[in-house]
Parts: sequence; structure tokens; C-alpha cells
Amino acid sequence: MMTHHLDASQFTQNRQFVADIVIIGSGAGGGIAAEQLAQAGFNVLLLEEGAYYSRDDFIMQERWAYPQLYQEGAARKTRDQAIGILQGRTVGGSTTVNWTTSIRTPKPTLDYWHAEFGVNFSGDNDLTPHFAMAEQRLNIQLWPVPPNANNAKLQQGCQKLGWQYTVINRNVNGCANLGYCGMGCPINAKQSMLVSTIPAAMALGATLISRISVRQLHWQGDSITGLDAVPVDQYFQPRSDVRIHIKAKHYIVAAGAIGSPALLLRSKVPNPSGRLGKHTYLHPTVISGALFEEAINGHSGAPQSIYSDQFVWPDNSDKAGYKLEVPPLHPVLMATRLTGTGGQHAALMQQFNHLQVTIALLRDGFHPQSQGGTVQLDPAQQPVLDYPISDYLWRGMREALLSMAELQFAAGAKQVLPIHHDAKLYNNWGEAKRAIQALPMQALKQTVVSAHVMGGCNMSASVAKGVVNQNGRHHQLHNLSVFDGSILPTSLGANPQLTIYALVWRNCQQLITSLQQNHKFAS
Amino acid sequence: MDRRQFILSGIALGTAASLGIGSISWQRSLQQHHNDNRDLVLSALLPALLYGALPQEATLASIELSRTKTAISDFMPFLPQRQQQELHQLFNLLANGVTQLALTGHLTALAQLSISQRLQLLNQWRDSYLGLLQQAYHGLRELLYGAYYGQSEHWQALAYTAPRFR
Repeated sequence: MMTHHLDASQFTQNRQFVADIVIIGSGAGGGIAAEQLAQAGFNVLLLEEGAYYSRDDFIMQERWAYPQLYQEGAARKTRDQAIGILQGRTVGGSTTVNWTTSIRTPKPTLDYWHAEFGVNFSGDNDLTPHFAMAEQRLNIQLWPVPPNANNAKLQQGCQKLGWQYTVINRNVNGCANLGYCGMGCPINAKQSMLVSTIPAAMALGATLISRISVRQLHWQGDSITGLDAVPVDQYFQPRSDVRIHIKAKHYIVAAGAIGSPALLLRSKVPNPSGRLGKHTYLHPTVISGALFEEAINGHSGAPQSIYSDQFVWPDNSDKAGYKLEVPPLHPVLMATRLTGTGGQHAALMQQFNHLQVTIALLRDGFHPQSQGGTVQLDPAQQPVLDYPISDYLWRGMREALLSMAELQFAAGAKQVLPIHHDAKLYNNWGEAKRAIQALPMQALKQTVVSAHVMGGCNMSASVAKGVVNQNGRHHQLHNLSVFDGSILPTSLGANPQLTIYALVWRNCQQLITSLQQNHKFAS
Repeated sequence: MDRRQFILSGIALGTAASLGIGSISWQRSLQQHHNDNRDLVLSALLPALLYGALPQEATLASIELSRTKTAISDFMPFLPQRQQQELHQLFNLLANGVTQLALTGHLTALAQLSISQRLQLLNQWRDSYLGLLQQAYHGLRELLYGAYYGQSEHWQALAYTAPRFR
């Protein structure tokens, strides 16, 4: 059988490729696009900076998974080092390592986009059928198994306090409830792009090139004319000894909300709106640990099965909304986030199995004081995100720490530890409340993380307000589409994978129709 | 170039000059210099950060320290070049007697300080008004704890074992 995978790091001389469509990035956007376009009969070339691994490689150990499957070894940071960013870099992108939470785009988010950016997803443009198709394709269903103790505490806290909560829909098929989704699914249960759309596209003739970094798109007038790429080395650093040139009729950039703007910035594409690489959103996330008498074993079981939207859409629009979820608990993830040093840190680690952790994801991008970050290029032309945290966000984070501590005590926690470098273990809600109200909310003191990067190539009806149109087509370059989370005009207030699947599914259908019409005109 | 880059570049230049750059093998000797300094600094900081986590028994502790150092050097090349350079510069700074005085307030080398003095020093960085020192604290903490707790041999105290699926 003919192989449809090439590993660019094995190239020993310069190479050239030609395709109908080249897709840069194989995550949620690139993966959906590859299958749709291959099914429509196009000759597709799918490029991925990371490596092509399969379930046998996924050994459920962080020391292997983080350097091999994540951007910058899972140690990606914003420019001032104040926010840690988890983002996939492997075939399947973040879908290979995410925690499987699948949520349709909240209606208030779509309404905000309509009002502020003129993009309308109602009527003929309703995304409902695309959500349904993506859900069917990726087996997205309500998780029928009882939540693990880590999630159950979130549920119990909500029940005690009368807060809203929801059982999560997950994209799994035959899930064994292992809890290691973040290190690659060892049994192919998670329906990531790696095991669904990408193999399907390859079976239809698409070619995958892994370990390739696209450095520049060349353009002239209103067209992309070709692209230059290089292989990456064993540490995924771009090499300079071999050049790869690719020509296609249409170019799809799907390198994620940091990678896509970075490529377009390196290529100096037209940017009359000035918004390219701007307004990057993160769902900035704060963390609260809690010690329970009973074992929690947060490493075991589906990592996310319950969320609470009690605080996502506050009535007062000057307050930042936040979503409550839990993360999986693994030794490196915990050791690097737990505060303190020496004996204090060691003592916390010894209670690893009794630790419950709740996270609050802030909904950024919906307020004048929440305009997101900026993707910049470092001296090696690699991206770095500058994301200043405003007072509005700091206030939201303090409220989120308060909500989480209240919830954890309501669920029966013995002690609560807000993950802030000046915080301590608190013994009751009153003590925690007083202490949290006095914590200095400052970069680095307050630990902030993100697993959702959005924006930087936002869609808009008018060319003045965005980089691409509602169909993901670049406003200035006719044969360029951006099909990933970078087109989102704000954050979502929900985990992004299903939004990206549905939007890209819809945009691919539009693109296929448009390319087929052009083809008819041409022939 | 911001102030921080300026300070670090100045020191890096100083380090390069002190190495007598100009010889054919300067890159190699610079790399060796980086490695020696990293080892020196990690040997001083790891026993402090990991106080309470390392085994009491000296031979076992030394095996764990050495395993952690290897994990750090295996991991660093995955970081962006600019972050690798910053880490090299930080290790060089801390290993260098003159700048060490400025950063630590101690004339004695890091390795001569007691464990509690080293922990106190780390806490001073955490609470420093200098962004550079705060970043050093958080950057080193994450790198060192990540490397130590990434090793399955170090999980006994956590009562955790990763599932063996195959």
C-alpha cells in the first residue's frame, strides 16, 4: 500500500511539492478541513510541525508527552512569563492531547460577534447542523459514567450551594476512563483528528508531511504564490539546511491561534485592519487546590466530566465571567503549580492523592478592558505572545478564587489552597475569604494558566474590523483561508474544540462550492 | 532591547570575554562553560528546592539529584532558543562570583550556603521588586520541579504509580 506520510526530518535535500490545497496545521481546523476537502476530490497536502505518533507511542508519562506532544515542551509562556500555555504540537494538534470536553458555542457569544463584528450565525448561517455533523463524526455524546472524585467534588459543591452545573459531552468511543487524555489516548478512544479525519483523508489520497515548519507564504497582488518550509530537528526547532517549496491553488492556514498569526506576520501579508496578531484570547485560568479527608485520585478517570456555568455570564457587564471546571492531576502538572519550596512543597506533594483541584476560566474579549494579547516575533522569528492582564481581569480572578474556595469547602474540603504565591492553606471558608480578599493580584504572584488560545486573525463582516470574512477567507488574499481558533473574535466562554470543528466544517463547504464554481469557469 | 535584556547581554558579553573568545573551538568551550555553570547552580539549588522530597540517605539522594539534572539537560533543548539563552545566562550569572554577590547578597558561593539560606535566597527572589529575579524564581522552580517529579522513580512519596497499560 502506498504510504501517504512523509517525515520532513528525513529529507536530505531540497524538495518541492504541488497540490490543489495545502493545509498548514493538523489540529481541530486542519484535521476537519483535510477530510472534507479530500472527500470533495481535491488533492490535499497536510503539513504538521509536530511528529506523527500513534497509540503505541502514548505511554502515559508526562516526561515523554510534554516535550513530544506540546508546544515548547508544555512550558510555553507569555512574554512576561506570567501565563503558562498548554497547546498541542503533534499530528492532530491540541485534539490529540485535550481533555475531550465538547461544548457548542454559547449563544451570547454568537450574539456578541453579530453585534460587534457583523458575523451572523443565525438563519441560513445557523451552525446547528454543523455542530450536529461534527458531533456525529466524532462520537460526541453525554458521558454516561459517574464523574471521578475530582469532578464529583465540583458537582457536590454546586449542589450544596445551588449553583448550576452540567454533565459534559465527550468525543470518545470505547473510553476506558483512564484519565491520561492529556498525554495522548493509548487506546484510540478519544476521537481526535489523529484517529478520525486525518486517517480518513489519507485513505482518500491526502498526503501528510510531519516535522515541517512553514516559514513564509509568498504573495503577489491578491494571491498567495507559494510557500517556503523547513524540516524541524529532534527538538522541533526549525532547521536551515534543507528547504521545501510548496505550490497550491488554495492555501489553508490552520496553525493555531499563535502559529497562524505568526506565519502571516512573517509573510508580511496585507493587514489594513491592523488586527493581525492582535486580540489574542486565552480564557486566562486560575487554580484552587483543596485537601480532602478521602482519596480523590485526580489522575484517574475522565479528566473533565462536570462544569459549572454559574458565573460565566454575570448580570453586571463590568464583571468578568468565568467557567468552573477541573483539570486532571498528574505529578508534573501538580508539582509545577503547587506553591512554596522545600519542605512545604514536599508536604503538599505527599498529599497528592487527597488533592482536589478546581479551575476557573475567565471569558476574555467582551469588555473594553479585555482586548487580549498580541502575537510578536522573537529574533529567531518564532512567536511569543504578549498578554497584559488588566485590572478588570485581576478583579475577575479574585472573584473566581473566592467562588472556588467557597465551592470546595461546601463540598467538604478540610483545607483550601488558592494557587497564589502568597496564599496558604486555609481551614474554613471565612478564613479563606478574608485572605483571598487581601491577596495582591499581580503577575507571577498569582499563577495564571491557559489551555485555550483563540483570536489573532479574527473574522469580521467589514474589512476594517478583521483579518478574514465570516467564511474564514482572507479579506485581501483570494486564495488564502484561515481555518482554526485564530478566527474567533473573542474567547468563547466554553472549551473551543467543538466551535472550531463546526465553523471549519461550514467554511469548508463554502470553500468547496466556491472552488468548484471557479473550476467550472476555468474549464 | 529592554532593560532586562540589556543587563543579561552585558553579563553574557562579559562571560564570553572572560573565556577568551577567538579560539577555533570557542563555541564548544562556551557550551562546556554553560554546562559546567548549569551543573554548579543545580547542585546548589536542587537540594534546597527538593528538601523534604529527597531521600535522607546520601547515596540515594545523590542518584535522584543526578537523574534530575539529566532530565533538565534532556528537556532544555525543547524550549524556544530565546528561553534557552536566558537560562544559560541565568546559570552563568549565578555561577559567577561577582554577579552572584549582586544577586544573592552573599560573598560565599551558592554551594557554601546552608540549605535554609538557599531557600531564603529563593524566597527573596520570589518577593523581589526586580522582575528579573521573580522570573528566575518561577522559571527555575518550574524547570526543576518538573524534572524531578517527571521521574517515575521519585513517586514513592506520592503513593502514585502510573498505570501500566501494556
